[in-house]
Amino acid sequence: MRESVSVFWLRVKSLVLRRKLENDLDEELAFHLAMLSQKRGGDSRRQFGNAANVRERCRDLWTFAVLENLWRDLRYAIRTLAKSPAFSAVAVVSLALGIGANTAIFSLMDVMLLRSLPVKNPQALVEFVSADADGARMTNLPYAVFDYLRRDRGVLADVFAIWPSDAAFQDTGSSQPAAAHEVSGSFFPSLGISPLMGRTIGPDDDRAGAANRVAVISYAFWARRFGRDPSILGSAMRRSGERFTIVGIMPPSFFGLDRGAAPDLWVPLATDPDPGEVWVLGRLRPGVSVEGARVQLEPLFRLALESMRGKLAESAERERSSFLSQRLLVNRAAEGTSGIRWTYWDHLSTVKTLIGLSGLVLLIACANLANLLMARSAARSREIGIRIALGAGRWRLVRQLLTENLTVSLAGGSLGLLAAGWGHRLLLAFLVGDPSGVALDFELNYRVMTFGLMLSAITGLLFGLMPAIRATRADVYGAIRSGGGQRSAWNILLAKGILAVQIALSMVLLLGAGLFARSLRNLGATDLGLRRENLLLMDVRPAARSPQARQQFWTDLTRRVSALPGVRGMALAGDAVFGNGGWNQTVWIARPGQVPRDSHVNMNFVGPGFFATAGISVLTGREFGEQDRENAPLVAVINQAFARRYFANENPVGKRFSDRKRELDRYQIAGVVGDAKYGSVREGPRPMVFHPIGQEPALDSSVLHVRTISEPAALAPSIRAEIQALDSDAVVSDVRTLPQIVRGQLRQDRMFATLASFFALLALALSAIGIYGIVAYRVAQRTAEIGLRMALGAQQRDVLWLVLRETLIVLAAGAAIGIPAALVAAGLAKSLLFGLQPSDPLTVACATAVLFGVGTLAGFIPARRAARLAPTLALRNE
Amino acid sequence: MGAADKQGDLVPGTLDMLVLRTLARGSMHGYGITEFIQSISNDVLRVEEGALYPALHRLELRGLLASEWGVSENNRRAKYYRLTVTGRKQLAAESERWDRMTAAIALVMGAA
Repeated sequence: MRESVSVFWLRVKSLVLRRKLENDLDEELAFHLAMLSQKRGGDSRRQFGNAANVRERCRDLWTFAVLENLWRDLRYAIRTLAKSPAFSAVAVVSLALGIGANTAIFSLMDVMLLRSLPVKNPQALVEFVSADADGARMTNLPYAVFDYLRRDRGVLADVFAIWPSDAAFQDTGSSQPAAAHEVSGSFFPSLGISPLMGRTIGPDDDRAGAANRVAVISYAFWARRFGRDPSILGSAMRRSGERFTIVGIMPPSFFGLDRGAAPDLWVPLATDPDPGEVWVLGRLRPGVSVEGARVQLEPLFRLALESMRGKLAESAERERSSFLSQRLLVNRAAEGTSGIRWTYWDHLSTVKTLIGLSGLVLLIACANLANLLMARSAARSREIGIRIALGAGRWRLVRQLLTENLTVSLAGGSLGLLAAGWGHRLLLAFLVGDPSGVALDFELNYRVMTFGLMLSAITGLLFGLMPAIRATRADVYGAIRSGGGQRSAWNILLAKGILAVQIALSMVLLLGAGLFARSLRNLGATDLGLRRENLLLMDVRPAARSPQARQQFWTDLTRRVSALPGVRGMALAGDAVFGNGGWNQTVWIARPGQVPRDSHVNMNFVGPGFFATAGISVLTGREFGEQDRENAPLVAVINQAFARRYFANENPVGKRFSDRKRELDRYQIAGVVGDAKYGSVREGPRPMVFHPIGQEPALDSSVLHVRTISEPAALAPSIRAEIQALDSDAVVSDVRTLPQIVRGQLRQDRMFATLASFFALLALALSAIGIYGIVAYRVAQRTAEIGLRMALGAQQRDVLWLVLRETLIVLAAGAAIGIPAALVAAGLAKSLLFGLQPSDPLTVACATAVLFGVGTLAGFIPARRAARLAPTLALRNE
Repeated sequence: MGAADKQGDLVPGTLDMLVLRTLARGSMHGYGITEFIQSISNDVLRVEEGALYPALHRLELRGLLASEWGVSENNRRAKYYRLTVTGRKQLAAESERWDRMTAAIALVMGAA
């Protein structure tokens, strides 16, 4: 013990006093030599033996041999790697991509799913979720639930409610809408967030009769809209003419509870005249378990649901009972509300596919690295043989080779971490259209760093150790004697095996890329059932309060916009023709001799000329006109799917249905229109009902549909001007064209297609490099044989075939593993594909052809060189 | 250090003990130690310098020896080693063990 301590100190000391210790030792040895020569004369040096050896062994005592060797190995590794830049670049870059892709995805998941909210004691936060009998979960809870839950005095320290306001807020002098969250007075106190400036919203602000309406704005909004001007405290935000005084600015780190939807401002919930639904969160008292809280709060939840029984009288029996039988769930919410997970990660398959893609890339990079390293140590077997012959320990050599391999993988890893930062943003841009609304701060936190570096270290160890051990097993005599000595060191069969696996993995990526690309094309070209060109959509919300004023606004708007030059037609609708999918409606259809059945369809309110404007064809009957107004008979237009399902072969025009159980003949069908897609590109035909806007109470907001003669976006400013002229407080938001909506919906598909294509290209390039390397090596190895064959009369063609055959065998082996593997992988991603099967023959054929084409080309280049060898030269080579 | 051989190399593992025993007489420099061992053993035991200095340094590290720079008999600067208290104890233990071993070996050799 004592020894090791003193040795340790000596070593530490020696780091500092290196020079003095060296001098002492030299002087001591010099004295010895002098004494020797004095006594025996002349030949003392030989007597003394190897002075350097003595010095070395003494020095070993007082140095950190391991550390010093490591440092020396590292320098040596960097020097040798720098000597073969092509090898190093391919190895490092392919690893960087593999590790970068994985780290980017990990960091995204870290931010989205793993990182705690920056609020006071996030561990105690819980969110309340309702689950119906089918297990469907909802975070949108009736306001009554919040009202009842806050009566709890036992398990909850705090309860608060949030609701993303559908009303648009504006600051003075801008018609750009700002997104607001309505929050209960307990929201800010419970989260324990202090404002950057001013104050937050307190319980006193959240009262129906509060003296004045207040708003707190986010840092990002403050910076974006007001250029961080502190004097805006006290100025106003407006919501349809109402004033909200800005009383506080939040710090940059605070984004609310949902990273995916950071609002621009927060206002008291009490300012919402009708808070229908809210998100409810709370804070557990210390020592209360999630399950304990659920059991305690369930009765309050029941009471809340019962309190709404009255409001449900109108709805169908089935709906009522399913509503009343909901259960309460309590989830931990330390990482934020489920909102983001449900919005962007709704399909778990997205995450799985991303992980699968990046995992494949890493595997390919590793296989590539293993082969490169094996080839490399084979090429150096002579050097290694000489070093072993000179007495280098095998372990020492393995350690040195391993240092080299780890240097490659860590260099790849570090580069990968850099790439991850960039890839992370790219992924985010693919996943969410407008990343500015997403509070995802990418930083290289320790978790991501650890992940990336661990990954590279493991790769280096796993795939660097085997070549290192193999290399040092070389037959020393043979290695030194023969020119390259590669025969023994590079196990060509093993190399081909690894290459075949690499080709198989590339096949998986190639097929994936093909499927995603074709699926994306199918999605983009799919028939929406309407004319997507030159259609402009925008949401309009007038400030007018009274129904008459609003009605007047809609009438004037229609007149003014229709008169604009460049407008071919326009129509108003409650919901956009495409993008949302309309509201739900329960309909009853009376069939002669049958009990009326209720069923669910989707519904939209549309104005006169809607179908003509949207380009949806009217098949029979008519579309709505000016005559379909308040006191006229109630009419409806249905789509083909509706007609097929409920009227089979009869002509539905003139038939009746209802949205209530009584009054079964409420609506008369005026026309049937063609099926269109209403919500998403992927949906199939579904029953849809349209009601005339004129027979409904004046809408407080609607979607303006404008069919233009040319480029629709160019018309947006003049339409906006017309709206402002009618009502300067009107809010215009979400100006979009159909291609834009479709593009937005296909973001994820585009991400998969792009990533898979990029990765497939990379995999293909790496495979080609691998094939080229092995074939070139084999040609060099068989030069004499080839020369002999040519001398004996073999044609260039025969030699070419001789060499290419090996390539084709490896390719075939790769494809034989790869195609079934690719089909299985594609089967897993089936739900992401559109308009083609995972085993789409054309795609499989194309991917195989590309693989064989590129692979053969890579093998052909060195094969041709072999075939052009002059026989005499080739023979002399031996 | 290599195995014992005809030229008078050391019995393995005995160098430390010999060094300690030599220094028990008083402080000495490295060269002096080799000279002493060689002459006292009638030239049978020859200490390899390549083994001596690492051994000296090792013993010093273990706290069995201490060293200081002094002036040699011919007026040169030389490093002198001497036993420490621990070194003395270690020597006692090692010589006792050695005595036991040689006695035991003698018994076996005599019996054969």
